[in-house]
Amino acid sequence: MRNPVDGLMERWARDMARRVSRRRFLGSVGALLFGAATLPLLPVARGETPRPAAGGATDPGDPQTCEYWRHCAIDGFLCSCCGGSVQSCPPGTEASAVTWVGTCHNPGDGHDYIVSYNDCCGKTECGRCLCNRNEDDKPLYMPFKSNDYNWCVGSKVGIAYHCSTARIVGVAK
Amino acid sequence: MSHVRRAAAGALAALALALALARAAAAQLPLEPGGVTQLPAQPGAHWVWVNDFSFFALPDGKAFLVDGDSGKMLGLLSTGYSFDSLVVPRRGGVIYSPETYFSRGTRGTRTDVVTIYDTVHLAALGEVKIPPKRASMMAMMAGQVLTDDERFLLIYNYTPAQSVTVVDTRARKFVGEIDTAGCALVYPTGPRSFFSLCGDGSLLVVTLNEQGRAASRTRTKELFDGLKDPLTEKGVRAGDTWLFASFEGALHPLKITRGGGIEAQPTWALFSAAELAQHWRTGGLQHLALHAASGRLYAIVHRGGPETHKDPGADVWVWDLASRRKVQQISARNKVASIQVTQDAKPLLFGCSFESNRLDVYDVASGRYLRSVEGLGITPGLLVTP
Repeated sequence: MRNPVDGLMERWARDMARRVSRRRFLGSVGALLFGAATLPLLPVARGETPRPAAGGATDPGDPQTCEYWRHCAIDGFLCSCCGGSVQSCPPGTEASAVTWVGTCHNPGDGHDYIVSYNDCCGKTECGRCLCNRNEDDKPLYMPFKSNDYNWCVGSKVGIAYHCSTARIVGVAK
Repeated sequence: MSHVRRAAAGALAALALALALARAAAAQLPLEPGGVTQLPAQPGAHWVWVNDFSFFALPDGKAFLVDGDSGKMLGLLSTGYSFDSLVVPRRGGVIYSPETYFSRGTRGTRTDVVTIYDTVHLAALGEVKIPPKRASMMAMMAGQVLTDDERFLLIYNYTPAQSVTVVDTRARKFVGEIDTAGCALVYPTGPRSFFSLCGDGSLLVVTLNEQGRAASRTRTKELFDGLKDPLTEKGVRAGDTWLFASFEGALHPLKITRGGGIEAQPTWALFSAAELAQHWRTGGLQHLALHAASGRLYAIVHRGGPETHKDPGADVWVWDLASRRKVQQISARNKVASIQVTQDAKPLLFGCSFESNRLDVYDVASGRYLRSVEGLGITPGLLVTP
């Protein structure tokens, strides 16, 4: 079932594609990324009651398993199995700056969350806990909804893909 | 026994031993010169390249050449980081391979090249350096293609800005880059034209001049709904028509018009309402194949319902494109994510999956399983018949 955020994003993306040239769009994204670098990205829920650690009552499941709720649209090796965690990269790797997002339902609190699947880059494949789930995954011509790209393209260390995280970046409802 | 008799018996035994040794020496295998095997100039009708994108070891892409009749591996090409697929021209003689390398394996300076191999020695004849931008993604046939006259090689880039690299195969030179912002992959439509699929459901139609530079870029109207029922990007071409299956099993024929334009023809359903209700869907990495002479379309199918568009399947269904009727069902011995069909009169069907490193071979006419070829890399992806 479509959620309101998807609808909003669809209208925004279609409108943007019609109106905005690539140069202007990249300029805007560049400004956004510069802003992101200047003001470190903060969890959307910051300021609210701190969320219990992964595996707690409101975040049920094991992040080292493919079935964990945040992995609903992931495709790759789980960083939780590779020396990192569900939101941080393993030592010595770099988090990709751009990535794809999914909308996953948390059975612990009943909310739908926007999950960012940042790849961790700069080493060979971790090779552990391979997981591919495709809820709301779209083909390669809709890049930011596609888990088939190697998202290390946005990193400084090149495209060597190591593993994927599943970070909460928003609440869908 | 006397001493004399013992001595005679000993002499006889020594003679027998000497004779046996002499016989053995006469029967020994001859010494052998070393050498390197060559392939015939013409590929076999049932050969297939199995491209291994090697997902557990991305720096080590490779392609295995296999003879489907004997099940023998014939040779291998070593093809670098995040490998998609070889591009094999019909005219023969050479193979093009878009490749990426890092100077320190997984780090250091990135270099992208098109390596040109000869088909007899499988040796690198040379290379064309291209911008270090080729898309790193799940392997897709539309990541690298030749124009219809095989003059220009077109390679999809994603940095995440989208563009297409053009290489002149005759001059063996990089020509330039064509901006395809908002649109992905490359589908040739003629000697000097191609299209890309765009996120808003339109196509970007590009024509090239004789030098391989963009002569025109036209965006069509929206031809499909990428959000409601997306086309998979894994299309196959039947003459002047590209065929794409949607997530929900609608076949979209996109007909090439004169001058390289595109006209969307009415879609038709691969599955009946009853089959859809039973959750039959297409799925996989290279889930469609075509036998051009018979006009038959092959698709990997499975029962899984929505959002299983990448799932492998244990069945291959066959449709007659003229009548749009399903004419055959082939039960696969093992689940497959990629299929390919040889184009001769007695075709073979090949199937493989990234979940194993085995190639399965079937006789198309009878649907009978013939043989498996084991040990082909790590995660075999795209199948290409030379």
